[in-house]
Amino acid sequence: MKADEPSLARLMAMAQAGDKHAYAVLLGECQQWLRSYFGRRVAPGHLDDLVQDTLLALHQKLATWDSSRAFLPWLAAIARYRWVDQLRRIYRTQAADLDEDLAGPDEEPAIAARISLERLLAQLPVAQVKAIELVRIEGLSIAEASQACGQSESLIKVNIHRGLRKLAAMIEKA
Amino acid sequence: MTMLRDTSEPTGALIARLVDDLQPVRPLRFSSGLGLALAGLGVTLATVAMIFGIRADALAGQFDPVFLLAAGLFLTLGLASAVTVIVMSQPRVGSDHSGWVWAAITTALLPAAATIVGVRQGAPAFSAAAMDHGAECLFAGIALALLTFAVLTGWLRRGAPTSPERAGLLTGLAAGSFAIFAYSFHCSYDDIVHIGLWHGSVVVVCAIIGRLAVPPLVRW
Repeated sequence: MKADEPSLARLMAMAQAGDKHAYAVLLGECQQWLRSYFGRRVAPGHLDDLVQDTLLALHQKLATWDSSRAFLPWLAAIARYRWVDQLRRIYRTQAADLDEDLAGPDEEPAIAARISLERLLAQLPVAQVKAIELVRIEGLSIAEASQACGQSESLIKVNIHRGLRKLAAMIEKA
Repeated sequence: MTMLRDTSEPTGALIARLVDDLQPVRPLRFSSGLGLALAGLGVTLATVAMIFGIRADALAGQFDPVFLLAAGLFLTLGLASAVTVIVMSQPRVGSDHSGWVWAAITTALLPAAATIVGVRQGAPAFSAAAMDHGAECLFAGIALALLTFAVLTGWLRRGAPTSPERAGLLTGLAAGSFAIFAYSFHCSYDDIVHIGLWHGSVVVVCAIIGRLAVPPLVRW
């Protein structure tokens, strides 16, 4: 059973008060949600790392959730921040193929769409998205990415740099 | 709660460790952040009164219109920036952090007007005495900004700003604006060239310092 937004918010409020049982349930639900949220935007070899980084950030920033606001947009902001941070750190991954079985967020579609990574990427020019996808997510080298998409190698580098800078500045943009 | 992650650890084990480490937390409150920022402004004003002294016309309740306008603009920019910094400490997809831009554009009218008037006045607007007094305002303003810098940076470190660079810039804007607002109760120059160029410079310099110095302190 997947928890909905009100249940997650209730669990989070209990966790902020120190309820360890509620916190264990919450983290389990968040783990599932994050795996689905990152979906195809993370190379499979890095998914566990990113989920764990995000759970750790959630733990360290527990006090920054405001109980008068929705929980998932808060979690999504932390997840996006960690995701962009990981994209900046990864230069080349060994993983080549993406896992087709990973589903996107399927509950509360309106909220899911507004906080999704797709919506964030949609703010970038197509060439920048392509460069980031090929090099930072699929793990191609600059030369391979250049051949795959027809951009010159220097343009690929510029597009990655500019794209990641824009993503970092738009993390909370819905 | 500082906790490191073992990269070989399964997620289930990490979750068990996080649960074990859980302590009750007091959620960050916007009102507490704003209260701290305003308390910082109050202490800055008190510092100006005690160290530099308050200008005579302000003590007598007779304010020059240029002083009122400029002080009001700097206070507005300081408040808008400080509020944005406090909001940025609690991340949320869907938050809009752009309200301060309008306050910044409006306040930028001061240096714009100063440049126009200064160019028309020529050399007298940039005399040695005017420069010396301007430099005094600049250094005093930067020193007075330290308290707001410390308060807002401390708040951001407790929070989770997703754009440390912008948070740093806004921390500097808030610190510089509050500082020069407070110092203008001492500075007796009501000349638009002096206020626009020198008082405006305090805000610009503090914004640059904030943009460069704050991000490494608040990154998480």
